[in-house]
Amino acid sequence: MDQSLVRNFCIVAHIDHGKSTLADRILDLTHAVAARQMREQYLDRMDLERERGITIKAQAVRLRYHPPGAPDEYELNLIDTPGHVDFTYEVSRSLAACEGAILLVDAAQGIEAQTLANFHLARDAGLTIVPVVNKIDLPAADADETARELAELVDRRPEDVLRVSAKSGQGVEELLGAVIERVPPPRGRLDAPLRALIFDSSYDTYRGVVAYIRVVDGGIAGRSRIRLMSNGVVSESEEVGAFAPDATPLPKLEAGDVGYLVIGVKDVRLAKVGDTVTSAEKGARDPLPGYREPKPMVWSGLYPAEGGDYSLLRDALDRLKLSDAALAYEPESSLALGFGFRCGFLGLLHMDIVKERLEREFGLELIATAPNVEFRVVRGDSEMVEVHNPSEMPPPGTYDRVEEPFVLATVVTPSAYLGPVMELCQSRRGTLVDMKYLAPERAEIHYLLPLAEIIFDFFDQLKSRTRGYASLDYDHWGYEESSLVRVDILLQGEPVDAFSSVVHREKAYQYGKQMVERLRELIPRQLFEVAIQAAIGSRIVARETVRAKRKDVLAKCYGGDITRKRKLLEKQKEGKRRMRRVGRVDVPQEAFIAALRVETTPAGTSGGRK
Amino acid sequence: MSGDAAGLYVHVPFCLTRCGYCDFNTYAGLDHLAGRYVRALAGEAALAGPSWAGVSFVSIFLGGGTPTMLSSRALGELIGELRGRFDVTASAEVTTEANPDTVDTPSLAALREGGVTRLSMGAQSFDPTVLAALERIHSPQAARRAFAAARAAGFDNVNLDLIYGAHGETLESWERTLREAAAMRPEHLSCYALTVEPATALGRKVAAGRIPPTDPDVQAEMYDLACSVLRQEGYRHYEVSNWARPGFECLHNLGYWEGRPYLGLGAGAHSYRDGRRWWNVRPPQQYLEEVESGRLPLGGGEVLTDDERRMERLLLGLRVAEGVPVEWIDGRQGEEFVEQGLAEVRAGRLTPTDRGMLLANDLVLALAEP
Repeated sequence: MDQSLVRNFCIVAHIDHGKSTLADRILDLTHAVAARQMREQYLDRMDLERERGITIKAQAVRLRYHPPGAPDEYELNLIDTPGHVDFTYEVSRSLAACEGAILLVDAAQGIEAQTLANFHLARDAGLTIVPVVNKIDLPAADADETARELAELVDRRPEDVLRVSAKSGQGVEELLGAVIERVPPPRGRLDAPLRALIFDSSYDTYRGVVAYIRVVDGGIAGRSRIRLMSNGVVSESEEVGAFAPDATPLPKLEAGDVGYLVIGVKDVRLAKVGDTVTSAEKGARDPLPGYREPKPMVWSGLYPAEGGDYSLLRDALDRLKLSDAALAYEPESSLALGFGFRCGFLGLLHMDIVKERLEREFGLELIATAPNVEFRVVRGDSEMVEVHNPSEMPPPGTYDRVEEPFVLATVVTPSAYLGPVMELCQSRRGTLVDMKYLAPERAEIHYLLPLAEIIFDFFDQLKSRTRGYASLDYDHWGYEESSLVRVDILLQGEPVDAFSSVVHREKAYQYGKQMVERLRELIPRQLFEVAIQAAIGSRIVARETVRAKRKDVLAKCYGGDITRKRKLLEKQKEGKRRMRRVGRVDVPQEAFIAALRVETTPAGTSGGRK
Repeated sequence: MSGDAAGLYVHVPFCLTRCGYCDFNTYAGLDHLAGRYVRALAGEAALAGPSWAGVSFVSIFLGGGTPTMLSSRALGELIGELRGRFDVTASAEVTTEANPDTVDTPSLAALREGGVTRLSMGAQSFDPTVLAALERIHSPQAARRAFAAARAAGFDNVNLDLIYGAHGETLESWERTLREAAAMRPEHLSCYALTVEPATALGRKVAAGRIPPTDPDVQAEMYDLACSVLRQEGYRHYEVSNWARPGFECLHNLGYWEGRPYLGLGAGAHSYRDGRRWWNVRPPQQYLEEVESGRLPLGGGEVLTDDERRMERLLLGLRVAEGVPVEWIDGRQGEEFVEQGLAEVRAGRLTPTDRGMLLANDLVLALAEP
């Protein structure tokens, strides 16, 4: 098709601002889906996405639209992007596949942290922004005020801001008109060597990796010899096509087109998001800019609750990895938990999703250790070790410094809650970078914070201190030196590796105290007194004691009691079998799960004014 | 251990009132069935007798419930009936449980006449507040009176049952009860830690939060107190909850712990022989109908696997002062118990200490590990 009749765009929004509903209405308006097949959140295909109301995987859907009164029919490619900070890189690649972005804001909520983050991403990608206020029919809507805020943000006049109700469909026709009018058509060179951007991929058991691509230059036919530019892998592609919205094979895709490519490889790691596809012969010289290796930011040990399930877990991770290039894992063993894997994730939401998929799709019961960030231990000028597991942190005095990852966090909050928000950031070792008012009652603040301080209960705390009104987003900043120490938890003098944690020196005592108190409640009394200690190196910083058990016997045991008593003991024996032994101390599995449980909501999974 | 020295248990499921803590198979208000019930016991004995031919019984134990809800004459006739159906040794220990409110000197004398050699009396406590907490209807005086009556009737082997650890009982009160019981010079004392069973009035009160649950540490203190007071008074601690003057250990109950065979007659009674355990139907009405139709009133049974037998031998053996032969257990684990003061090794046996007996469950679990 003539590139001038193609528009590639995406919708970006803060969570719950109506992105999926707007996508549904656009599908309706372009008759993409037969009415009887239509369902809510049409483009979110995973159960997990639908249950959580979030988008994890990108989708690209090709629509045909003839604007009323216009001479031509247009091809619209709508790319539905993930909406979470864990997937910022994936989002940036989806944006790079577009020329324009609808920036959607809930009229009752106003601009939120993810609105800002998405806007900056889209602007940096050079996209034309189409500002839209959604939910204008809500009683609490303040469309004028939201339009004013939004116009100021994108540097347009309030009249340029469109107003829609994605729910009723009001204004959506006009919005599509504006997309055609304002978003420039792609301007790829048809005669140049092939360059196509992979902006996401999925895994099909029969066909292997299906890459979602945007052809930037040249063209690609269904069966061709192609080369992946980041790793030089050459393959015979099997099919090209577009999602309309179901996969529809096409003879070829050309510059400006968005669609899919069945690459002909079985491992998603070979076709990573951000990579460039070119022809095997006479291919392009330079890849498209912006490729990055996926980099896990958060690590956690995953152990099967039943030791015998280790190989099952390994197979499950191997399978999951085929469709999740960002997941990293390496075998590790724990004295307390047995054999398992240290797994790396993009963030807490990613970790949650992986754990839930392992449990749901593979029927595993897992124990996850408390997540931690990656530390860099530096010796001298040149030696640097990456530590993914706190128990591998070398003892104090054997290194020069430790670095930890920092993020640049954006918080949008009603001005009335600025104080509590700043207090929270300050208490999490934050440094104020910038602050400005979006409106007299709404402020935007930027803090430099250690990632480790964000991944636990920061988001929950932020919500509770602002009655749910504040929103959060962040960008990775880089590594900075920090005063970090390893805190070990000891049972009867034996360290329990699964409970070791690397924390800031000033918080080490607090962590140790909290952990030993929690464990005192969780560890059942034994035949002897059990000392639970927290230690930094050889220095004990907190101690609790589980008193020795004194009585465990049935007072009476005659005739018929014997059967009952034996059955009781058999049950106890079964319970004991499920205990983990640390030195001489029996620790129930439940104690590990409870002690390691992180009471947290991944940042950005729900938000807005409540 | 003489494998053939069997015991005979007879269950009498009648009581004046139900005590709040009791989950035994016993009923208040069924007294009208008493006559039929005694005849049914004789009937069951007749049905069971042939398969126990050649087995020598060294004890009879009339338990309940409250056996003394039946007349002394009826009980005497029953004992005679049993002696006729089974090979009961001439010197057999014949015990009956008795409630202080249901006996007096003449009735006790009649029991002795009928062949009862040992009396086990449910005194429970000498503290009125504790008796009230246990919902026992008798007074401390009733227990003293009944004990004196037993002596007057000529009983020279009497046990007193005590219960400790009820809500409101203090260490001081328990010590007074212990001292008072010992001062009466019974031959035998059973001291049971109160166990809250869920399916009882007491269990429901605890579940509803109206009464605090029993505190195992407090009960352990009380147990320690019983061990030291009764040792001073010349009693030997021979099982978790049982103390006796030397030679007055309860032969019948020792049978359970030593794994000897026993036959139970009556509603819900259990029997054991050669690794097989079976039990009668529990409801007295159903029991009567079965026996009156000429059928053994079988309610269920089990054949123990080797593992289960091993588990039982340990759980019973570690309850008694004699303990278990060291060959039964893993030597390293045994040494650990000795180090921890939970057991001793004497004459080729691992014998639990007082402290170890109170932790018998943990000892068994540690030893039963595969």
